Amino acid sequence: MQQQAIIAKNLYYTYETGKNKVEALKGVDLSVNNGEIFGFIGPNGAGKTTTIKLLLGILIPEKGELALFGRAPSNTETRRTIGYMPEIADYYRYLTPVELLTMYGNIFGIEKKLLHERINKLLKLVGLGEVSNRLMRTFSKGMMQKVSFAQALINDPDLLILDEPTSGLDPVARKKMREVIQDLKATGKTIFFSSHELSEVELVSDRIAILNKGRLLAVGSAKDLLGGKAEGQSLESYFLNMIGERI
Amino acid sequence: MKAVWAIACSMLKELIRKKDFYVLVIFMLVLLGFLSYQNFFQIEGVSRYIRDFGYSLLMLFSFIIAVTFTARQLPSEIEARTIYPLLAKPLSRHTVILGKFCGGAMVSIIAFTIFYVIFAGFYMAGGEGKSLILLGQGFIFGILFLCMVSALVMFFSNFMTTSANITLTFLIYIAVGGFSDFLGRMVISSKGIITALYGVLYYLLPHLEFFDMRVRITHAWDPLPAWVVLSLVGYTFIYCFALLYFAGCIFKRKRF
Repeated sequence: MQQQAIIAKNLYYTYETGKNKVEALKGVDLSVNNGEIFGFIGPNGAGKTTTIKLLLGILIPEKGELALFGRAPSNTETRRTIGYMPEIADYYRYLTPVELLTMYGNIFGIEKKLLHERINKLLKLVGLGEVSNRLMRTFSKGMMQKVSFAQALINDPDLLILDEPTSGLDPVARKKMREVIQDLKATGKTIFFSSHELSEVELVSDRIAILNKGRLLAVGSAKDLLGGKAEGQSLESYFLNMIGERI
Repeated sequence: MKAVWAIACSMLKELIRKKDFYVLVIFMLVLLGFLSYQNFFQIEGVSRYIRDFGYSLLMLFSFIIAVTFTARQLPSEIEARTIYPLLAKPLSRHTVILGKFCGGAMVSIIAFTIFYVIFAGFYMAGGEGKSLILLGQGFIFGILFLCMVSALVMFFSNFMTTSANITLTFLIYIAVGGFSDFLGRMVISSKGIITALYGVLYYLLPHLEFFDMRVRITHAWDPLPAWVVLSLVGYTFIYCFALLYFAGCIFKRKRF
């Protein structure tokens, strides 16, 4: 039996906003296999980011079970095996990409020589090799996204959690990002990513989960999900039908 | 500890790359230089005035740096959303608080050291009553003072905006200097439940005035006995530990 990178059973989470309570997740069951690319889609407010925060141990589920490689996400040792790229992050503008990655690398306790080599490699990979020592206050949104992607890989993680990874990137950079994700998969990494770009999710994901209003509507490969539908139907129309059927 | 150091060091780069600090250094140099120039005219007591003014100035500038740098750490992490990748790293929330505290304290101590070297230059060049021991004690007390301030600001930044935090810390700094004597007297002179209330307030307040060496340095009084210095080191350690522990507990309960 294949070992699973993520197992979530009956996850519930409620936000309190003043006197109001918002049920962000209502009994989500999820399992992500080791070494697969798992796309996580849903409209705004569906609960995608909440799920990611639970996976990272930043939030604790109100009810249900959650394990990453068989351990609790809040466990420090679990986090050593995870890389996380947030949807938006305005990284410290008074630092250079090298300094930022050094800081994160030191938090992981990576040995100095290895860290230096890895930083060079990652910055080249994301196309920031030439501006590696420039202060990030001069960076565009796309460049910040690339820095963000590089920092997610600094610890050579087994599981990569990406929240809208291609947001703010130009078409060339998007294509490059997709290629890198595929390459990472080829090295045995597990990739869990959320996106609004359905065509992109369809292109790279082994399996896709659709979340709406805190409930998981469907999980499967793009082929399986579209299999029972009319010929030529896209993931976008399937997705719209799915959330439309349940609204 | 490596994680704490990594977080703290990034704050040091902020100090180096922002102009605020350089403006304060130049301002201090100009003011003390101007006052020293008056000394050529042999105005009586001007060296004492330079000590008084110079010491107050360096403490105020270091205090400003400690408060402003430390106060904006957590709110800016949340605003810039860098808190998420940081919390996703293998460190506890107490470590994040400790790292930010160490960064704030380290930045202000480095700035304070530079200010103090300038002050010490003017102090040694000045007139009567020079004491290296006193100067050394002033330096140690300055460091302890900045640790207390950074811990206090770190604690408040869990539930306050940057500006509210800065304002409250300034108010505490001013109030503690003015009211701690009064509170102390009330603890002795009052009775019953009132004594207990005054007592709680007195011991809860951060006694920042304990670290003020201005009068002693200005008037070249005798240095303090070693046990006083050691007691204040202990007081600072316990107070900072308690504040940071509670700050970490509050931070741990926060939902982002």
